[in-house]
Amino acid sequence: MEMKRKWGMVIDLDKCTGCGACALACAQENNMPIFEDDSDFPKRVVFLDLMKVTNDRDAKYPDVDVCYIPKMCQQCEGNDPKNPRPPCVSVCPVVATDVGDDGVVSQVWSRCIGCRYCQASCPYDARTFNWWKPRYESSFKNSLNPDVSVASRGTVVKCQFCTHIWKRERDKAVARGELDINAVTYTPACVAACPTSAMLFGDLNDPKSELNQMLKREKGRKFRLVHTIDQKSEKRQEELKRIKNYPNPKVYYLSSKAWIKEMMKFK
Amino acid sequence: MGTFIDKIKEEFNGYSKSVKIALYIMFFLTAGFIVFGIQILFWGLGYTDMSNNYPFGQWIIGDLGLVALGGGAFSFGFILYIFRNDKLAPIINSTVLLGFLCYLFTFVYLVFDIGQPLRAWFGYTYPNWGPHLMPASMLTEVVWCLTLYFMILCVELIPVVLKHKVLDAIPALRYIGHYLHRIMWIFAAAGTFLSIFHQGSLGGGMWGVMYAKPEWFRPDFFYLAIVAAIAGGTSFMALCAYMAGKVMKREIVPAGTFYTIAKISGIMMLAYLVFRIYDLIVRAMVYIPAFDRKFINLLSPYYGWLYFLELILAVIAIVMLLVKRYREQERFFLTGVASGTLAITVSKLSVVLNGSAVTNFPWKQFYAYNPTIQEWFIMLGGLSIMVLIYMWCAKYLPLFPHAAKHQAAEADTPASH
Repeated sequence: MEMKRKWGMVIDLDKCTGCGACALACAQENNMPIFEDDSDFPKRVVFLDLMKVTNDRDAKYPDVDVCYIPKMCQQCEGNDPKNPRPPCVSVCPVVATDVGDDGVVSQVWSRCIGCRYCQASCPYDARTFNWWKPRYESSFKNSLNPDVSVASRGTVVKCQFCTHIWKRERDKAVARGELDINAVTYTPACVAACPTSAMLFGDLNDPKSELNQMLKREKGRKFRLVHTIDQKSEKRQEELKRIKNYPNPKVYYLSSKAWIKEMMKFK
Repeated sequence: MGTFIDKIKEEFNGYSKSVKIALYIMFFLTAGFIVFGIQILFWGLGYTDMSNNYPFGQWIIGDLGLVALGGGAFSFGFILYIFRNDKLAPIINSTVLLGFLCYLFTFVYLVFDIGQPLRAWFGYTYPNWGPHLMPASMLTEVVWCLTLYFMILCVELIPVVLKHKVLDAIPALRYIGHYLHRIMWIFAAAGTFLSIFHQGSLGGGMWGVMYAKPEWFRPDFFYLAIVAAIAGGTSFMALCAYMAGKVMKREIVPAGTFYTIAKISGIMMLAYLVFRIYDLIVRAMVYIPAFDRKFINLLSPYYGWLYFLELILAVIAIVMLLVKRYREQERFFLTGVASGTLAITVSKLSVVLNGSAVTNFPWKQFYAYNPTIQEWFIMLGGLSIMVLIYMWCAKYLPLFPHAAKHQAAEADTPASH
């Protein structure tokens, strides 16, 4: 049976209030460990990081503005979407990470040897390493999600677009007698938790999907994280793609603030 | 037991005061290696200063640096057994042992460096091969080539061990040693083949393929690392043999051998410098602009200077090793080989430390890294153990056949008078 789906996401930064509900929902859904001092950001284990970005590099008071950017794995696919080549997949020495037919870059915790090569090659800091043994305080253990395996110390983990929820939905469909793998869609935990509907998840292969409709509609506000090649002419893009691969992520952001797009460029 | 301790005491007291101080320091570092090694293996990498922003750290000297410097073993093996340059014969045993130790400790450091040491064997059972048996992951190639070449080094080391006077007295072992030595060119050729691949992949290829990382990406990095390994490795092998001679207080390698190595190392260092400058220009002009970034902005304030230090050291090594007047003077020769070794070590440090310090997002600053006491002790302790093993082997194995001949000749001279 042919896989027709290719999952993608749009995050409307104009609607995002930076409440952090997405990060919290993600942590709970994916069994993130809790440490005494989770302000130790560089060693924190999170799939979804709420980045606070300001324009103080380019602007001065009173023009300084703040924006919150929810950032998870951007599910890169490289220059050729037909032959996806995310920067982190081919580097893994033990095939602990792979890109599925649905475009989701997966990671098998129990296969990972913890070499952190994928982490080094990720351009979005989307992969985190379990520097300490994951711990769950008191009754939190009882609320662990049985669909997501708890990672061991010394392994790399990452966002997989809550692919286990899709599996759960497909299992339900099979129980109903529906055997088509493409029959159901799903909603990842972060998208479901967003109180302002700033996040939208859907199928990039389906031209009728709400996601694709929005991407078509919002051409002016659309951009991708630190993917400045998008802003160049088609001819220049072709030239650059001959020099090297580009991540070509499947997560899009929308914003009407010009400075946010300007902040995507290194100066 | 008493006599055994007395023997150790006697041996220890036989060294000069400065060697004794060095030994005390190395024993202390080794003790730290054991204590902190247990801590890291049982309680994890949280005790290091590496983090999600800075996934690789100082131990990379133990992984990348040692492999590059151990590269002298394949270079010398190739020059001696394939090119038949017999001038290198007096140093080859020491070189094979150093190569063996460098590769052995690369595995040791890798075991500390990976998060799941008990899964280290996954590299053999679940390798990431691509189509047509070409490895998809550079680390898969590294794991396989490193292991196979380490096996070759073990075989190359057997004749040296069998030359020990106790083993040499057993006829069967003597014949095995002799015939192994005769077919050593096969192993030298296979070793060179494997070495070229893993030197390229570990030293450069694995960094060069990261197409989303401006500080690392470039297709020529693979080849640059091969040249670096030959240049740095040959200097390192000469440096170790020279230091061993100083500790043993006798001529263990003839001066002619050192001059030959100096020439080889100097030429390779020159090739490295030219290639490195080309590499920097191509990166600055083509690859880094393809990321919409500038080379100068990728130089971290903490580690950017390593680039300059590397180039300066390479120039010093070239001058000292290629100019005949300098290389034939002991202190300049020493400066040359030490600079050559350091230049390549610094180049590896600059790849990792500066590369990891570069941020992925324009609104973030360069990352800094300050190795913890655990990292220092494990790195320096591991190097100390290597030195101790080398010293022990230099004493009990015929590492330097020239020294034995030299000693015998000296012993004969007064008798003839």
